[in-house]
Amino acid sequence: MHELLLFASVPVHQRHELLQQLAGLTAMQPRHCLERRLIFKAYRKPGLVTVRTGASQDLQSAELQRLNKMLNGGMYYTQVVGSVSEMDFGGAGAAPPGPDDTAMTDTNDDANAPPADQYDYAHQPWRLEFRDIPEAGTRSAVTARVMSSAALPRGDIVPPMNAWGYSFVTEYVVEGDVFIHNDIVIFLHRVLHYPTTDQEYREPRRQLPVFKDMAPLEKSGSYVLQASITVQDGSNQETMKTASQHLFGLREQLKSAVRLEQADRLSLDTRAK
Amino acid sequence: MANSFTLPLRPLLEKHDRSDSLSAEIAQISNQWGSFRDVNEEILRTQIAKEKEQDGTRDDEEGPEADTTERLEQLYKRRAEITQFAMQAHMETMFALDFVSLVLSKHSPRQAETSMSAFLKQIAPLGSLNSEVVTPPPRSDSARKDVSVISRGWRIQNFNSAANKLLSAGSRLEKEIASETRYWKEVLEVKSKGWKICRLPRERQSLGVQYGFLEAIPIFRDRGLACLRRAEDGGLVLDKGLVPSKARQVRVQVKRHDQIVGCSTLPRPTSNDPESIEHRILQARDTVFEEELFHELIREARSMAMHGVTTRQNLIRIPTSEDYEILIDLVDANDDRVQSNLYHSQQDLLLADALALSIRILLSYAHRQNLRRRTQAPPPLTPKRRPVPEYHLLRPAIAYFQHMSHVRWLESFFKDIFGVLQTAGLDSARYTANFASTWKPTHASRAESPVEEFVEKFLTPLESTFSGNLLTPRGTFIVTIRTNLASPPFGTNFDVSFDMPKYADLKSPGRIGLKDEVEASITHLLMLDVISTIASHGQPTPKPVPDSKESETWDVVYPHLGELLMPSSNPERHTKMKVALSRSDLSLEVYTVRNIDGIGRGRWELRSEGSKPRIWKSSVSMDQPSLMDFVAVESSGCQ
Repeated sequence: MHELLLFASVPVHQRHELLQQLAGLTAMQPRHCLERRLIFKAYRKPGLVTVRTGASQDLQSAELQRLNKMLNGGMYYTQVVGSVSEMDFGGAGAAPPGPDDTAMTDTNDDANAPPADQYDYAHQPWRLEFRDIPEAGTRSAVTARVMSSAALPRGDIVPPMNAWGYSFVTEYVVEGDVFIHNDIVIFLHRVLHYPTTDQEYREPRRQLPVFKDMAPLEKSGSYVLQASITVQDGSNQETMKTASQHLFGLREQLKSAVRLEQADRLSLDTRAK
Repeated sequence: MANSFTLPLRPLLEKHDRSDSLSAEIAQISNQWGSFRDVNEEILRTQIAKEKEQDGTRDDEEGPEADTTERLEQLYKRRAEITQFAMQAHMETMFALDFVSLVLSKHSPRQAETSMSAFLKQIAPLGSLNSEVVTPPPRSDSARKDVSVISRGWRIQNFNSAANKLLSAGSRLEKEIASETRYWKEVLEVKSKGWKICRLPRERQSLGVQYGFLEAIPIFRDRGLACLRRAEDGGLVLDKGLVPSKARQVRVQVKRHDQIVGCSTLPRPTSNDPESIEHRILQARDTVFEEELFHELIREARSMAMHGVTTRQNLIRIPTSEDYEILIDLVDANDDRVQSNLYHSQQDLLLADALALSIRILLSYAHRQNLRRRTQAPPPLTPKRRPVPEYHLLRPAIAYFQHMSHVRWLESFFKDIFGVLQTAGLDSARYTANFASTWKPTHASRAESPVEEFVEKFLTPLESTFSGNLLTPRGTFIVTIRTNLASPPFGTNFDVSFDMPKYADLKSPGRIGLKDEVEASITHLLMLDVISTIASHGQPTPKPVPDSKESETWDVVYPHLGELLMPSSNPERHTKMKVALSRSDLSLEVYTVRNIDGIGRGRWELRSEGSKPRIWKSSVSMDQPSLMDFVAVESSGCQ
């Protein structure tokens, strides 16, 4: 599948107004959305059988060639996304007692008897999202890239990901609002960082800190408006063109509010060096 | 004659050279005679007559002057005269030029000198003539007075007209302000009642009101926006463009035996003022909803041809049973003919009303579903367009009718057959009916609001169950009727299952589609039940004594044929009983058979003397002996 994207930067004071404008445009209420995003990095497992290359290439079967290509192909960072709600934040013992945690004191009281609606890491659903580096040299003024998503088992995701050759790197949280405009998904969001603590996390957090402590990555708290449209068959020029036309149509409609434009290709590079 | 005589200055050319183009000639003619448009026959005739007359006179007058010498003389004379005129004109012009040059020579001598004649230069020095402006003599008092009076009159007149213009402009503005105020006040009133006011997308300078349904298909969604125009007096005019402003409604009629017996009541306008803008917006909204409803009904009806639904341009016909038919059409709301019929059956009226309400509720539900679908993340873009599925508007109602008719049939069947059993004195068999058990609240519902959850139930398959006890102890049966028109398998299914300890190896028939088969299988089941009851009836005493050859029990030999046998010590005189059960009666017959193996059936069967087949019918009164009494009599008679 392919994904076509346009981005715009939205200062924090404009957010409320833009939400209202988008609600009017799409004739729907925004769907608030909070996602944990875990970054995994692919690595080459040592001791993999390397198939001979060279003179005997013609003897390799097509199947083997494909496998070989997959094993020796490029390595990518990939994301594991899990939807959470604001209720899940601020669980007891989310972080080791830090110096800045005033909220921790009241959550510590009921640490012995956790409420039923506490964050349950063991049942957290996950989704794998792979995004390629955007295509280079396209004449069209949209960002286009290969993408794929797949559902993952619930609960602790690190062991299966390790088994597939991915190691955990870091995680962050995305908060935002989703609108649907025909085929276009409009996502007004920003990235939140976990509060810095002494402890370094080598695996995903099992408890989430208090939501108020989450700090935006962009210090001013500004948002990113992302308009995306997915295309089933990226080799079909006709549908790709239709999809970009739809995005351009949206860009025209939002022209007086925000300026949607193509993103810098290298800033969306997901290749693991 | 002298005036009309013209003299060519150049020698006459012998051959006229037509160098002029046609257009030039046309121009010349129209210049001379006027436009061709004014030429008509009469004018031409008079013209010709006039020319002829002139020619005639000329001919007459030229007659005596035919003398050429005299003519030449006159010609020279005229030429000299012309030359003289020309000379004189030239001279006068030169004098004027000299004079002007002399006057100018004072101010610009060099330039004036060039246009002076030599003679003038000789006799008069340059700049010897001056000119200056002189004031005219003062006018007389009376003349001045006249002028002042006239000019005053003019001024007054102009002032008056200016004042009039300003006043009329003022009053026009005032009127405009009043009507604008009224317009905006009414617009605000409309807005305060909760209607959405917006600018029209194609006509940016005018206001529109949105009353339609955003989730309808695009044709009807776009019709839900109308322009609010200002009338002359400032009142609001709802401008719906080309759409006719007639109010229309969907009507449901019930037809029985080719006669319309019930009709849904069309809602009356709620507002008491039919001219108010509020009323007109409401009417427009209702009409667009009703038209969409009918559109969707037609769309759905076309896909339901397999259920016998037929469509005409403005009519949907749904046959629900043999003599019942439902007609749906779109009629004008204010058509009084529609309501004038008198209907006798309250039930049919209720039916029509209920159907009319249910299709509207289901369309609103479909709108909500559309909103939900629209706000979900869209699937990837593909070249194929996503088809818009038909809404389920008629299907729940038709499923209900179909289900009802099957349930009623099964109910009457059970009533009949259990009536037969009861007449025969077999009272312990009972059944209970439970209509549409699935309409109880379901816990696992996707719906968010209780209303949607409620409506969702109408779209689930209908299910009714009949359950009961059999005559044999611990024997039970369950018949489930399922009707599903929303998804395959379409139609009604009967699920017959039973639990008979006596025939443990007998499988339940399971899912059956045909009524006849259902009837046959249930009848068969009950017959087996009756047989086993008869067989067990002879054993009130626990065990027959083994050495007693005259056992008084009936053995079941061919249960599926309904045959029992009482073996006798005499191999020639076995007694056989045949049981037959049908919806209308239960019959018992006793035979004497000589052979009990299965091969010789029929040939060796002899009806017992004095024994007639015994028949119980449900309609016959209860005073006859019960089946068990009969069996007892027969058993004893065999000994």
